[in-house]
Order: sequence, then structure tokens, then C-alpha cells
Amino acid sequence: MATPTLNLPVSAAAKPVKIKKWKRGTVSPGTYGALGFMVFLSAFPFYWMFVVASNGSDAIAKIPPALVPGNTFGDVVQEINDMVPFWQAITNTIFVATVISVFNVFFSALAGFALAKLRMPGKKQMLTFIIGTMMLPAQLGVIFMFMVMSWLNWINDFRALIVPAIVGAFGVFWMRQIVDSQIPNELLEAAKIDGASVFRTFMNIVVPAILPASFVLGLFTFLGVWNDYLWPSLVLNDANRYTVQVAITALNQSYVINYARNMAAALLGTAPLLILFIFVGRRLVAGVMDGAVKG
Amino acid sequence: MARRHIVATVIGSALVLGALVAAPSQAAPKVTLQVWGFGNVFEPNIVMKYGMIKGNKSWETLQQSLIKKKKLKVLNPNVTLVISGGGSQPDAAYFKLSAALPGNAAPDVAAVEMAYMGQTRVKSTANQFIDLNTYGANKIKGEYLPFRYEQGLSANGKQIGIPTDVGGLAVAYRTDLFKKAGLPTARASVAKLWPTWEKFIATGKKFQAKSSAAFIDSSGNMFQAILNQGTSKYSNPKTKKYDYVRAGSGFKSFAISNPAVKRAFKLTADAGCTSRKNGKCSGSIGTKIPQYNTGWGAAIEKNAFATVLAPAWALDYITQFAPKSRGKWDVAAAPGVGGNLGGSMLTIPKKADNIDAAWKFIKWYLAPTQQLDTFKQYKLFPTTYKLYKQPAIKNYKDRFFNNAPLGVIYANSAIKLKPILAGPLDRAIDNQYGAALSRVSFGNQTKVERGCKAKAQTTEAAWCQAVSDIGRLGLSGK
Amino acid sequence: MGRTKQVSAIARQDRIGLLYVAPFFVHFLLFGAIPIVFTTFLAFFNADMDLYYEFMDTFDPGVLGNAFIGFDNFRELGSDPYFWLALKNTFSIWAISTIPQLIVAFGIASLLANPNLRASVFWRTLLMVPNITSVLAVAIVFQQIFDRDFGMVNTLLYYVGRGPVEWTNETLPSHFAIAMMIDWRWLGYNSLIFLAAILAIPRELYESASLDGASRWQVTRFVTIPQLRNTITFMVVIGTIGGLGLFVEPLIYGGSYDGGANNQFLTMTLYLYKNAFLNMRLGYGAAIGVGITIVVIVVSIVNFLITRRIASEDSK
Repeated sequence: MATPTLNLPVSAAAKPVKIKKWKRGTVSPGTYGALGFMVFLSAFPFYWMFVVASNGSDAIAKIPPALVPGNTFGDVVQEINDMVPFWQAITNTIFVATVISVFNVFFSALAGFALAKLRMPGKKQMLTFIIGTMMLPAQLGVIFMFMVMSWLNWINDFRALIVPAIVGAFGVFWMRQIVDSQIPNELLEAAKIDGASVFRTFMNIVVPAILPASFVLGLFTFLGVWNDYLWPSLVLNDANRYTVQVAITALNQSYVINYARNMAAALLGTAPLLILFIFVGRRLVAGVMDGAVKG
Repeated sequence: MARRHIVATVIGSALVLGALVAAPSQAAPKVTLQVWGFGNVFEPNIVMKYGMIKGNKSWETLQQSLIKKKKLKVLNPNVTLVISGGGSQPDAAYFKLSAALPGNAAPDVAAVEMAYMGQTRVKSTANQFIDLNTYGANKIKGEYLPFRYEQGLSANGKQIGIPTDVGGLAVAYRTDLFKKAGLPTARASVAKLWPTWEKFIATGKKFQAKSSAAFIDSSGNMFQAILNQGTSKYSNPKTKKYDYVRAGSGFKSFAISNPAVKRAFKLTADAGCTSRKNGKCSGSIGTKIPQYNTGWGAAIEKNAFATVLAPAWALDYITQFAPKSRGKWDVAAAPGVGGNLGGSMLTIPKKADNIDAAWKFIKWYLAPTQQLDTFKQYKLFPTTYKLYKQPAIKNYKDRFFNNAPLGVIYANSAIKLKPILAGPLDRAIDNQYGAALSRVSFGNQTKVERGCKAKAQTTEAAWCQAVSDIGRLGLSGK
Repeated sequence: MGRTKQVSAIARQDRIGLLYVAPFFVHFLLFGAIPIVFTTFLAFFNADMDLYYEFMDTFDPGVLGNAFIGFDNFRELGSDPYFWLALKNTFSIWAISTIPQLIVAFGIASLLANPNLRASVFWRTLLMVPNITSVLAVAIVFQQIFDRDFGMVNTLLYYVGRGPVEWTNETLPSHFAIAMMIDWRWLGYNSLIFLAAILAIPRELYESASLDGASRWQVTRFVTIPQLRNTITFMVVIGTIGGLGLFVEPLIYGGSYDGGANNQFLTMTLYLYKNAFLNMRLGYGAAIGVGITIVVIVVSIVNFLITRRIASEDSK
């Protein structure tokens, strides 16, 4: 339902009437209470992981249940390492995720720039097509992809993770939006008239301007790769090549299920991201909110 | 100028890609065996005697430290063993293996879970494996339990696998809880309580009338245990056909028509649901706690149930998960005759790179000496049955289980079994029957198939749905 | 050099952009289109492991010819009660997770939008933390929290004198538990999206509303919410595509491809994997994949139509 208020022209603010500032109200303690509660809910599972992981297995059946961390966390971590090379898995994941992120950002930026600013035939159709591919369920191709990887002898090989992920529709679309909104056309036209090549324009004008956004896209890609579960667990069989999620799966899906061990593994697998988050959390939040407005 | 730049970038990125794509090739004079397992098929303390471990860091470190301390001399330092899939679950492991078989990624040695041997022994799949008879498997045939060895025989007469351990089957029971409920506690008299499965269930009801604990941890396990004591499961031993046919074709698959299957189903359902309230299951001789996890261990220590249907390897899980129950257990013979749960086969894919070395490794790993060693260290019961007469097994007892003569009990259960013809959909059918049985005991058999003359929640309704679901698995009669 | 000539030279130069977009398209062809086309093709065959082995050994198209069964897989799919059950479950879990989530996320965003809020960056950042946690880790933790015998939730219920809830064995409780996993992970993220949209609403709208003497509720109802229509649509679209592909949560939660013994939380993708990987019916699995794609397309079209209606309503 459209109300008259909605149809006010934007220039309303320019009216020479002195507007009494609309009272949004001060912050009630209830607001902090509610936000505090949400943060508690967000943090609780992490705390719980640590409680179960550090109390040893029999603690879960205690009445009342253990609510504070115990002292066996180190033992459980040792146990995990005896079963799967977890530190190796973390190194592997960092490697794979970094390579994919760098490629994805580079290719996405190139394509995004072309789609946003260059005059090419069929540009609009291309963009529609790219957005359309995002709708396709990724699981559909898994069977075939697995056969191809097997045929290429890429089972247990990081190439099976990297090559299919080096560029994606989301990244291209995201970069197009960023370039479109952050780079004024005049700047590009000027560069062209100065005789700069397209690639040089890209490197000298576009890249510096989109670096912060590229960083956010890289982070998202990194997180996505880190948390990917199905594909790596299909193509990696050699424990030495496991990524973090595959290592967690190997513990979780064995015949023997040990809660303390599983929770410790889930926590260990998340910890590097939590540490990373301390440094980049603000930028990630800014990226999410930026993307929301432009999307 | 511009163009050169672009070409340079494109070539540049192509080069980086190329570096990724080009396989790092290392000319190695030594042999590296790719070994794919799951669960605990390959035990570290045993395999590290054979060759140099690579891949699993903790095994590698252990091996290195033992070598340094001169406590270990590796038999074949030129052989590197890359053992993958340890701890993983058999379904995932088999899918990976089956998809990798015809490709270049096929391993040198692959472990196959018994539930999947049926699919593996079908002609087209069996052709993806080496016939071990051409490498002299028939010379070692006599060492192994005949029923386990025959499970490695393919439909077209190839020996594609050599058996690892045998589960065997016995009942581990809690003497303290039995005593409180007024049941005998001595193993011989306990075994006499349940010569048959019917008597086992009756004992369970009797026990529960006098105890707050459940009788058994999970009644669902009975289904497989009962079937494995028979001579046929889902494939007809007479026609030797895996006659699963799509539902609606009017043909009755043996997986459905076999009376042994129906009997095992009914018995397990009776155990899973001993009383009903408003038609819905309200009592059972088992708990609903899933096996072999932390909750299961905690439940043992809280005296939640009194028995476990235990293959030899499960005893190890009891000690691991419920260390505080030490000394409260004893072990008696299982109902029926003999018994087995679990086990696997070692195979060599046709596309393996090092067939000779793979065969040498399998022969060594499954030879009596190593199987005895495995038993001593990991409680996996040997398939090389001549060992059963050796004192190490004959006199094997465990204090945790009240000094029960485990060696004799498990040897007796393993030696009595007969071969059962396995078919390609065994695992999938197992799953459907398993789901149907848990629907009965959890009281969520809400569906009644069309044409099924039964009420919701009944065993019969669950059976009808299982039959229809199995028909849906669909495989033309091959 | 004439101006027009220069422009057309630039335009020609711009065509180099085709080279820049090429990596995406080549990549999509190899790792997106071909697998999907192949899968669709496979759906017309009685493809099992036998066929796979025979074909890989011989590369003989004749082998394929014998396995061609036309539309049989699709006919079976149409009458397969489990596919329809999976569709129903998928939508049920989607609805249980999405609707409350949008409401709560909007509430949180409204709180965060308060310009007088202290440490606003701190709150925003903390709310984002669950989103970086892997689905697998979330599923493992929630599986334990909702454990029937030893779980946190049932223990709490026990203390308030309520019997154990069958969080896995009954349909609605299991859908709720899985929805909780999804919500926990996405609530903060969606709050931030809402927040961004709220902050982007021109202040003038609020100011004139306050001039008109609108109450807080009226401002929300007549200013904020209409301005958020596009955001809501965006979230629903993204949520739907994610929701239709749901499978890691139910897989870990139930520990099998069945989605519970009574298939009470069997989802479409889970059913695909069950057929393709566990029952080794590759062809039928492929047909399910095509079925899922059709559902996604239908839902997308519905979404599109709704969006367009909202858009045209706005411009009225």
C-alpha cells in the first residue's frame, strides 16, 4: 500500500521549513538486553563445543550436565591428531583457499570490469546469463565431475578442488556491481583519450579503486572454500590431503562416534577463521552491507 | 603495446594454470603402494612393520620414532605405503572406490566392506579387479575360514578378495544387572537361557520385568545377526541370480520372498516392540541409543542396558567407551548357531600400478602371523582358522570381561557359519529393512502401503513399506 | 584524427573485453554446462555401475544404446512418493527457517539502526560470527544439542518437567531442529542486510513522517517496510535457492542419506545422493537432479513475478 508519505519528492528536505529532528528515541536498556541475548545465542554453540570437548566423553551424561570447561582439551586434541593429521589439513586448506581466492578475484575483476565499462556486443545478455547460472543447483553436475576427476587422475589432488573453483558467477556479478558504482566513466574516458590501453586502464585505474572490494570478495571466497564439504570429501581420500572439513567428516563419520572428539574438531576447524575474523570482521561486515545495498 | 600486455596477462595466467595442471612427476625407483581402506581395516602397529608409512602423519611419526629407538625393523624399506581413508565410513569409501576403479586414480590395494561385496562380485565390477588366483591365491586358500574366503569369489569365478578379520558373534552381558534381576550369571547357564532368538527375546522381557534397565542396547542389530546364521539372504542360492526386479513387474524378488528374511524381520520387530499403547509401540527390550558413540558408553556406565550383541571387535569399543564398567561384564554364546557381523576383503584393482607389490603386501598382511598379531593388539578375530588351536587364542581371556574364554567363544561362533550368496544391492536392502525396523520401534510407521492389509504402526505395515521400497531400488534381473 | 574515428577505435579496442570475460565462460562451459548437459543426458539411461564400467572399459556407444530407456526415469520420478515427500520436507524446513528468521532479523536490524546505539560496530561484527562457521561444524554441535538422550535441549526440558522431545524421530521437531541450524548461521547475516537497507532509506522520509506526527509503529509500517521490499525479495530468493539445495544439515543430523527412518527429513538433494551414491542408480539420480532444477526454475519464475508485481506497485 502506497501512502502519501512515500511519494514525497526527495527534495522535501530542501524545504525552507525548520524541521524538528524526528525523535528516534534514546537507546533503552531493553535494546542492549536484546542484542546481548542475540550475541549470547551466537556465541553459545562455540562455548558449548569447548565445554564438551574439554570435559571428556563421560561428562555429557552427568546430571546436571557439565556447564563449565574441563581440563581434557589437550588430550582430545592429541587424540584427534592421532586419527587425522589435523594441522596438515589446516595448512592444506589455507593453501587451496588462498589459491582459489586469488584466481577468483583476478578473473572476476577482469570480467566485472569488462561487463561494467567496456562497450562490447551482447553485454546485457551476458550479464543476464551469468546471473541465471547462479540459479543452477551445483549438485547437479557432481556425478559427472567426479568421473572426470577420476579419469584425469586428480583424485587426492588439490587440482580437483582448485580448477573447478577458480572463477564463479557470484564473483563476476559482484565485481561488475562494484566497478559499475565505484569508477566514474569520465575517468576511464580520459584515460582512453590519453591513449592508455584497456589493460593498462584496468591495472592503473580500476584495480587500485576496487582493492578494498576485492579483498572482501577474496575473503568470501576463502571462507567458502574453507567451509566446503561435499566436493572435497568426494575427491580427497588420502588423509595427508584432507581439507579441514574432510578431516572433521572423517572423525564424525567413523564407526565410532566420540562427541568430545567431534566437538573439539569442529572447534579446531573454526578457530583459524575466528582468529582471522578478529582482524577482518569489520571489513567483512562492511562488505556484506555494501553488497546488500548494491545487490 | 596494449595487445602485448593483454597477451602477456593471458599467457601469464595460463602459465600459472599450467603449473597447476602439470602433474609433478618424480621418478621413483622404489615402490609406492596406494592403499585405500576405511574404518580400522589397516592397523598402524601391523602395517608399519611392512613398509615405510607415508601420508598419515601420526603413524609416520610413530614409525620413525620406533625405528630410531631400534624397536622396529621395517621389512621392506623400499616399499612406501600410503594408507588412505582410515576411520572413514564404508559407504563413502565404497562410492569413491567404485567411481575410481576404471580411471587412472585406482589404488593398488582396496578394502571392500562385506555389505558391498555383493556389488563387487557382479561380473562387470569384478572385471575391474585382478583375479588373485592368477597370482597364486589358491595356494593360500586353505588357511582361511571357507565361508569368509568364498565371499571373495566373483560371479564369474574370479577370486577378487582375501578376507580380513571375522567378527564372530557372542552376547556380552552384565553380571551385576543379571544378578539383580534374578537371572543366572555363570556363562554356561546364561547361554542356556537363550538357545534360540525367541528365547532370547523372552529372557529380555523377563529381565525387564524385574529391572529398570533395558535388556539390550539396540535390538535392531538382531536382524543382521539372525540372517548371517542362515544360508541365504537376499539372493537365491539355487538360481544364483540377483533377482531384484522393479516393483510392479509382478515378480517376487528373493530379497522379499525368502522366508529367512521375513523371520529375521519379525523376530527383530518383536524385540524392538514388546508392548503397544493405542497401537503405537511403547515398550522394547532395547534402548534407542545409537551404538558405539559417547552416549552409548555413558549409558553403559549408567547401567542403562544389560547386554550387547557383540562381534569380537565390539568388545574393544566397550572397553574404550565405558572403562568404568570393567569387571562387570561376562560373555556367553549368542542365540542360534554361530554368528558374524562385519568384516571386509582386500582387493587389487585392475588398473593398479603395482600389482605384484600389492599382492605381496596383502599376502603378508593377512597371513596367520600378522592376523595373530592384529588379534593380540586390536581384538580383531583372525580368519586364518588354524590359529584357533594355538594357545594364544585358545587360552585368550580378558579381565574386563570377567576372564571369559573369548578365544574359544569367538572361534566357536565363527567356525560354524556357512557361505551366503551376496548380491549387488545388499547394502541398500539392509538399509531399507533397517529403517523399517526402527520405524516400528520408534512408533513412526505412519504409512500403510496400498494393498497392504495392516494397520499403521504394525510390523506388517513396516514390512509392506520395506517391500515396496526395495522394489523401488530397481535393478533388472542380472 | 577525427573524433568519430577515435570513438570507433576505442569501441574496437573495447572488444578486448570479450577476452576478459572469456575465462568465466570457458570455465562455465567446462565445469558448469557440460556436467549439467551430461547429467541431463544420463537421466535418459538405465545407468548403474555396470554401465559405467562397461562404457569406461570400451568407450563403445553401443553399450549406451542398450541402456537407453527414454523417459522411464522421469515417469518413475513423477510417481515416486519419496521425491514428493522430499519436496514437501524441503519446503517445510525452508518455511520454518525463513519466515521467523526474516521477522527476527528485521527486529535486530531495527535495534541496530538506532543512531544512538553505542558500540554499533561491535554488535554488528559479533552477529556475523556464526556465518563464518562451517555448516558441518554447526550440524555437529546442533546434533549434540538436540540429542534425544543426552542433548542440552532435552535436559533443560527435563528440568522444567517436560518429557523428552523426539528431535529426530518426529517430523515437525526434526524440521524445527534443522531450521534452527540454518537460522543460527544466517540470522546475523540477514540482520546486516536489513540494516544496510534501513540505513539506505532517505532520512527525509522519516523526517516528513515525523512531521506528519506518525507513531513509531506507523513509521515502521508505512515507511520502513515498503522501502525494504526489494531487500526482502532478495533475501527470499537467495534463501530459497539455498533452501532447495539443503542437504548437509539433514545428512549429518540423521547420519544417513535416508533423512530419518521414516524419511521425515529427507530433502530433495539428499534423495539425489541416496540414489546416485548409495543405491548406485546414476541415471535415476540424474533424473532427480533434473527434477530439482525444474523446481528451482519454477520457484525462480514465481519469485520473479512477485518481485515484478511489488516493483510495479511501488511505482504506482
